Amino acid sequence: MSLGLPKRFWAPKAGNASEEYEDASNLASSLRAARSLSADRALMAICDGASEAAFSREWANILTDAFVSRPLDLENLDGPVLSNWLGPCESEWNEAVPWERIPWHGEAKTRAGSLAALLGLTIELTPDRSGKFPWRAVAIGDCCLFVVREGELEVSFPLDESGQFNSTPSLICSNPDNSGNLWEQVRQLSGEFRQDDLILLASDALAAWFLQQHESRARPWETLLELEAAEWEGWVQERRQERSMRNDDSTLIVVEVEAGRETGNAEQTNGREQ
Amino acid sequence: MPYSADISRDKPGCFLFLVDRSGSMVGALSGQPGQRKMDQASDAINRLLDAVSQRCSSGLDIRDYFHIGILGYNTDDRGTPIITSALAGTSPDQPFLPISQVVETAQVVERTVRESDGAGGIVEVPRRFPVWLEPHAEYGTPMCEALNFASQALQNWVGQFPDSFPPIVINVSDGNANDGDPEPLAHSIMTLQTSDGNVLVFNVHLSEMATMPVQFPDTEEGLPDELAVRLFRMSSILPESSRNLAASLDLTMNENSRGFVFNADMTSLVQFLDIGTRGPSNIELH
Repeated sequence: MSLGLPKRFWAPKAGNASEEYEDASNLASSLRAARSLSADRALMAICDGASEAAFSREWANILTDAFVSRPLDLENLDGPVLSNWLGPCESEWNEAVPWERIPWHGEAKTRAGSLAALLGLTIELTPDRSGKFPWRAVAIGDCCLFVVREGELEVSFPLDESGQFNSTPSLICSNPDNSGNLWEQVRQLSGEFRQDDLILLASDALAAWFLQQHESRARPWETLLELEAAEWEGWVQERRQERSMRNDDSTLIVVEVEAGRETGNAEQTNGREQ
Repeated sequence: MPYSADISRDKPGCFLFLVDRSGSMVGALSGQPGQRKMDQASDAINRLLDAVSQRCSSGLDIRDYFHIGILGYNTDDRGTPIITSALAGTSPDQPFLPISQVVETAQVVERTVRESDGAGGIVEVPRRFPVWLEPHAEYGTPMCEALNFASQALQNWVGQFPDSFPPIVINVSDGNANDGDPEPLAHSIMTLQTSDGNVLVFNVHLSEMATMPVQFPDTEEGLPDELAVRLFRMSSILPESSRNLAASLDLTMNENSRGFVFNADMTSLVQFLDIGTRGPSNIELH
């Protein structure tokens, strides 16, 4: 099994500059990392840094980069495994924050720590003993994984209704003192991919739109699959203007499961640096 | 659905604070010895603005998700209305500044506060607080005149941002207007609108009466005096989207609850607008 040429698209909230984009995703480098570490595994992650938290962009990027460069052990995941994995991420965030330059308005929230939702997916690219290709997903918050099989939405994780989205999802805090009952917020799911499955990872505004379309008996994955990089931002803007999608940072990864042996290393993006 | 516009730089939200600075505000606030109404009024505005600023802060920078105006009202010794625009560089006709400029006009003071050390103890630590408004109390209460200025400024604002979340007016007063009946003027302001709904008018009533504080009541029955009743009637019913956010803050409301508080904290009012993903329910920020 292999993965087709992935698409990774992103757009900041309308009115914000691209450097204020606070989602993050990592896929292409994950596939490169996967090859260097173990050619048989693909890793991908998507993060939504909380708009109301401080230095969310940094935190979201640290988490997605960590997920693909130093994979979280999803087979044996429990509270301590998660805490141990987060430790270096928290340190990295602390080092990235220019503490001596924080103005009064950023002081309390920076001290409290940054916040982000995370969705991570690992895929075994060689078949297991039963000839299937296992995957495992972990989610904290409302970034979503969708799997489409034979024209039907097979998996919608961790949320499966558009009404479940709100402005206070579970999030990972960069300050362990404020992480609360994080382990209780962790959602996990596993399954097996088949040839021709379509995998989509989406941050919350796009995921909510996706589920709303599906609830209206539309097939939103077809729209997303057809979108070209050059069309993406215009398409997002239209959805915002017609108010079918919230004006929020929006991120999408789409990849198809193929029969071949070579996993796509290049990717199609909407061409702007993060 | 009204009151659901996404708030962004292109479509900012708007708060217009009206602050009673009349002589009666020198009176003591009920239940808080040594605390005068004018102290509470300026504290309330400073806290509200601090909260808005913090919500728009990304750590180093401020995003212009809100425009802010502050109009103070009192008279001179002959009863002539004095309407002042508190933010540097503004006027009563054009009181608004984007929040990034508002934070620049704050005077920042350092105070020592007691905080949890996270291990069951208490520590004293220096913290910075912004101040925009100092206490002030002089002569009469031209609330009607202030509402007239507010109405004109808001007409201009909704013309400039016709698709924004509608402006929110927060009037902080002891309620004793002496230039006429402010109720029709408040209702007139509530008829101004953007494509997302009508302007919302909220009132913070500061009183010397020794009665229980009231927060977001749904009826005027049981309010302590006629001034409270009038300010209640001058207050908009809270929109559904705000009630939903209030519920996540553990505030109890129903479909008739109004943006009115009597001797109670109103800082939560600035949390009623959604500017994106905020702190989740699983985390208590310290």
